[in-house]
Amino acid sequence: MTEPETEIDPSEAGIDNLLRSSMAAAVPSLPSDFDQRLMREVRRTSQPLDRYRRILLISYGLVSVLASAVVMRGQGLDWGPIAGMILAPLAAVAAVRSTRRATQLVTLGPGHK
Amino acid sequence: MESDSKLVTRAQSGDQQAFGELVRRHRARVFRLAVSILGREFIPEAEDVAQEVFLKVHHAIKTFRGEAEFSSWIYRITFNQAMNLKARVRFRSPHADETVLNDTASREPLPDRQAETTQRDRVLAECIQTLPEVYQSALRLYYWLDAGVAEAAELLGVPENTAKSYLHRARQLLQVMLKERGYSCD
Repeated sequence: MTEPETEIDPSEAGIDNLLRSSMAAAVPSLPSDFDQRLMREVRRTSQPLDRYRRILLISYGLVSVLASAVVMRGQGLDWGPIAGMILAPLAAVAAVRSTRRATQLVTLGPGHK
Repeated sequence: MESDSKLVTRAQSGDQQAFGELVRRHRARVFRLAVSILGREFIPEAEDVAQEVFLKVHHAIKTFRGEAEFSSWIYRITFNQAMNLKARVRFRSPHADETVLNDTASREPLPDRQAETTQRDRVLAECIQTLPEVYQSALRLYYWLDAGVAEAAELLGVPENTAKSYLHRARQLLQVMLKERGYSCD
């Protein structure tokens, strides 16, 4: 228990003693494998998509967009609505990402870009 | 010993060892701050907060400009993270009641006296829960986690005099609350 560092007002001596006895308990510490678990998690979350997976993902996205456009055009839709229906979800994703980023900045607080 | 700012610069360029050293330097205090905010009934959650804080720091370290001390930045993230978690778990049953963990067995009072002490400790714990968050955190850091005023002030991101005033004000409020509930502090 720390010795009193604050100048305890005599009228607060009772509550000071009470808090010392009431709040006395073992001080917890982090488990010894905290660093290992953390660094494992860091590696897992920071692993970038490798080149092959990135190309595959982009190709899949482009083919999907193209196929959707062709099918919608085949149903007689104009290019305007088709473009709208493809771009609207992309804009929604971008908006959600920017909102999440703004929320994250609030959580991170000052000292952060 | 290499300064935090040099380690941050190295970590920003992808040096995992530098990041690991920053974790070793700050993990204990990050955990203490999280525990002081969440209380002793949420220690496993405080561990999760500590891990989440370092993952956030790792994710955002490239954007850290160094306008504030790295330690202040990381304690601020911890405070926000723990407060967010506390808001989520507020209505959930804790792992163990705060008073159950009290280590007051140094003397062996008579059963009546013991029951009275246990009851008073429970009421005190309830009163503490009603205090503003920073007061609660300051009390737990000072009276439970053996932090001095200087450490409590640093972790809470306030000047030492402010930390002293948190403690002083918390004691005053608790005194009044206990008196209202019919308990003496002597």
